[in-house]
Amino acid sequence: MSSITIAGVSKAYGQTPVLQALDVEIPDGAFVSFLGPSGCGKSTLLFCIAGLEEVSDGRILFDGRDVTRVAARDRNIALVFQDYALYPHMSVRGNLAFPLRQQRAPEPTINAQVAWAAHLLGLEELLERAPAELSGGQRQRVAVGRAIVRNPAALLMDEPLSNLDASLRVKTRTEIKRLQRELKTTVVFVTHDQEEAMVLSDRIAVMNGGALQQFDEPMTIYKRPANLFVAGFIGSPQMNFLSGDTAPGGHGEHRLVGVRPHDLTPCKQAPRDGELSLSGELALIEPAGPLHYLDVEIGGQMIKATCADPSGLTPGAAISLAAPAASVHLFDRDSGLRLVA
Amino acid sequence: MAAFDTAEVAPRATRRPKLSGRRGGLGRVPAFAYLATLPTLLVVAAVVGAPLVFSLFLSLHRTNPITKRWIFVGLDNYAALLVNSDFWAAIGRTAYFAGFSVVGATLIGMAMALVLNERFPGRGFLRSVVLIPWAMAPVSVGVLWSFIYAGDYGALTGLLNDLGLGGLALPWLGNGFRALNLVALTNVWSQAPLTALMLLAGLQSMPGSLHRAAMLDGAGPVSRFFNITLPWLKPNLFFISVVATINALMAFDLLWIMTRGGPGEATTVLSWLGYLTSFQFLRFGEGASILYCLTILSFLLAILYTLVLGPRSAKRREATAPQGDAEGFAEIRSRTAPPMATLPPLRPRRALPRPLADFLARGGFALLALLILLWSALPVLALVLMSATPASDLIRTPPTLVPSQLTLQNFQTVLLPQSGGAFSTSVQAKRVPLALMNSFVVGAVVSAVCVALGSFAGYAFARYGRRRFFGASLWALLLTRMTPALTLVLPFFIAYRVLGLIDSRTGLIIAYCSFLLPLSAWMMRSYFEGVPVSLDRAALIDGCSHVSMMWQVLLPVVRPGIVAAGIFCFLASWNEFLFALILTSTPQSQTIPVVISGFLSQAQFYEYGPMFAASVLSILPPVLVAFFFQRYLVQGALSGAIKG
Repeated sequence: MSSITIAGVSKAYGQTPVLQALDVEIPDGAFVSFLGPSGCGKSTLLFCIAGLEEVSDGRILFDGRDVTRVAARDRNIALVFQDYALYPHMSVRGNLAFPLRQQRAPEPTINAQVAWAAHLLGLEELLERAPAELSGGQRQRVAVGRAIVRNPAALLMDEPLSNLDASLRVKTRTEIKRLQRELKTTVVFVTHDQEEAMVLSDRIAVMNGGALQQFDEPMTIYKRPANLFVAGFIGSPQMNFLSGDTAPGGHGEHRLVGVRPHDLTPCKQAPRDGELSLSGELALIEPAGPLHYLDVEIGGQMIKATCADPSGLTPGAAISLAAPAASVHLFDRDSGLRLVA
Repeated sequence: MAAFDTAEVAPRATRRPKLSGRRGGLGRVPAFAYLATLPTLLVVAAVVGAPLVFSLFLSLHRTNPITKRWIFVGLDNYAALLVNSDFWAAIGRTAYFAGFSVVGATLIGMAMALVLNERFPGRGFLRSVVLIPWAMAPVSVGVLWSFIYAGDYGALTGLLNDLGLGGLALPWLGNGFRALNLVALTNVWSQAPLTALMLLAGLQSMPGSLHRAAMLDGAGPVSRFFNITLPWLKPNLFFISVVATINALMAFDLLWIMTRGGPGEATTVLSWLGYLTSFQFLRFGEGASILYCLTILSFLLAILYTLVLGPRSAKRREATAPQGDAEGFAEIRSRTAPPMATLPPLRPRRALPRPLADFLARGGFALLALLILLWSALPVLALVLMSATPASDLIRTPPTLVPSQLTLQNFQTVLLPQSGGAFSTSVQAKRVPLALMNSFVVGAVVSAVCVALGSFAGYAFARYGRRRFFGASLWALLLTRMTPALTLVLPFFIAYRVLGLIDSRTGLIIAYCSFLLPLSAWMMRSYFEGVPVSLDRAALIDGCSHVSMMWQVLLPVVRPGIVAAGIFCFLASWNEFLFALILTSTPQSQTIPVVISGFLSQAQFYEYGPMFAASVLSILPPVLVAFFFQRYLVQGALSGAIKG
């Protein structure tokens, strides 16, 4: 297992910059996610770590050792691909053994290690099958097995859950987390699914447009988003943004006020001190199980709020909303940066 | 009113459960589908099926060309073949020729495909250049290479002389076994691009992540080629060897031009023996039986291909079957866990420093790309050079490649026969402009007809290919692609004599349509399969009739396919030699390959210049297509790859 240091890494395809001077420090044994919308460069960065893509500038270090110019095959890195990339003409056993064969490991060692990985992932019954004869979830486990079988310095995962259906995805991500805890492997996990990243990671690197937006623990990112992009990207439904001059509190037109729907609830009594309070017309009630989403029109803008019990609320009627002072985020409208509050 | 029609059609199209036609049928087969395939099937039945039956009939008879009497002899012709040593010798040579061609074309095609699959500046150019030997007419290939190998004044001998290696020169085609090898090598030269294209298609369908995964697993380039690439290409390789074998079995034009079965009988392969028996000795019955053996041989290969391909497609369907995802990682973990093995420490394998290894890899790649460029382009450039060389230079001894001057005289001779000049234009050279014209007219009409009829048939095959009627017709089409033209040409000849179509452009057009229509239907089918059925349904719901659905919605969508099929049919008919040779006799209808071959028959030394000029003109359309419509040509090759 190794720590990974990404120091000032930039990459461009011709004139198009893909990664812009990124600095990320991944400690040994940590689970780190690269999170961002598609096209933000997260997969490219992963491939740069793996050595499948050359960086244009900057350095990549494993345990302090510079590997920027080391070929992919010599980096001792494993990668689980989005489409799993199982070798179609080899059995599951052949797939698991392949990396060990390439290392010229002795045959008994290969057999022992394949047995170990197969047991760990519950693949023992499937060893003689061809990848085409496996279900999606089984293929995914074989891919993970092939990645861990040779004890890599770090395990990279490129959206490994995106081809699974929803319930299996939730189940598998728990397994991945448990596996990582058990093996104490350094894992770099690329995803565009914020929930996946939140659940799995020790730290999340939020990326957009090839630049790092924020690198922090999941709850810090949720509670104190560093800028407008992170605030809007993390959390579902999306955070509400109000112009500073329309929202009460006198923040001025150069600021944006952000408040998450979960923090914004209907209130009957007058606002307490420091509370954000808004009033408008209730447009829609959307039941979502444990709570209800309220669409409220305030000053020509649709704002999302939540409530546990919608009884007494009718669409079309006036409504007052309030959010506690601590849950209000302030951003600079021009730079998009969070204003300390 | 249109709305009323829609109401009639729409429920029919949407009522069916979605599952019944996974690849998309549209429910009950409408009469339109049968109508759409009818012309193609009729043509195939009449123009390929009937001649095949006739040929079989013929092979059971002994005919006398003078008395025109047919005597039924049962299987005697075949029995006679079994004890005919010439026949067995020809079989042996055919096997050798086919083996040489297949192995050679596969090895060279593989190198080409691997190089052309990489990204590098000039890849598009190299792809086009590589295609040229395959796109040009076999007759032009034959003319080119027979002059390269020509004994006293040939280009190869000339090149050796120029390099001061004159002592190495040999009468290249003079020795029997050497001649067989050289003809086979020429066949490899013209067939390797096709192999390369098919392998390239296989390489491009390979998910990029496979190689990346293997790279991370520690596999180097050689290990990845054998562990990943080669197994991935296995089905392609099998298909390629069948196609290449059938093409080699049918090789005729090259032999006609280069060796005519000689020296002695050294290059008399089965197809040539059949041609000789039928058209030189006029023993139609015996000839037909030889050619029938050839036909059966290619059918057997075709069936073998089908059988082997069958299980593979079945397996692919099965791939999506298991859905039992219930068990997780840990369910089975209760048993005692095997311990983790101690792995050997990772040792870096790289003996050379990275920059040096990279440099060597790049250098090796560039060298390989250069070799492929030279292999494909040099002979063609030699042809161009020779066409610009004064005719007298071409027969100099000692030979040299360096012309005394460059001249357009040869082109002037063939294109402007009236202008006179220093050389009087011979009878043969005067035929060139008309022949180019004939080739062009025939090619244009053939491609128009084939594309028009083939599109409709292709649509029906794409949408209803799973129905028995259409499935069976589809395989019938495929089998017709495997029928050697030599088997068909004799019945054509006899039928045309009766119908008075001999020596007419109309006759040629009908003949070419007969074997290019299945090809264009096959190509269009693969294009229509790429169009989602929902588009058909939307058009029908929006009030289109079947015909207006085709015209307004589907044909515009498959326009690239139409262009590809049109180009492919045009080139195939432009390059065709055998039918044109047998079915025409006067300049009024002769096409350019026939006229070029006529230069050779006359064997007049001073005619070489004009002959090369004519050859250069004949390869002009294929070369232009290779450069400007490369994509379409590739597409055509991939979907209609059965015939070279």
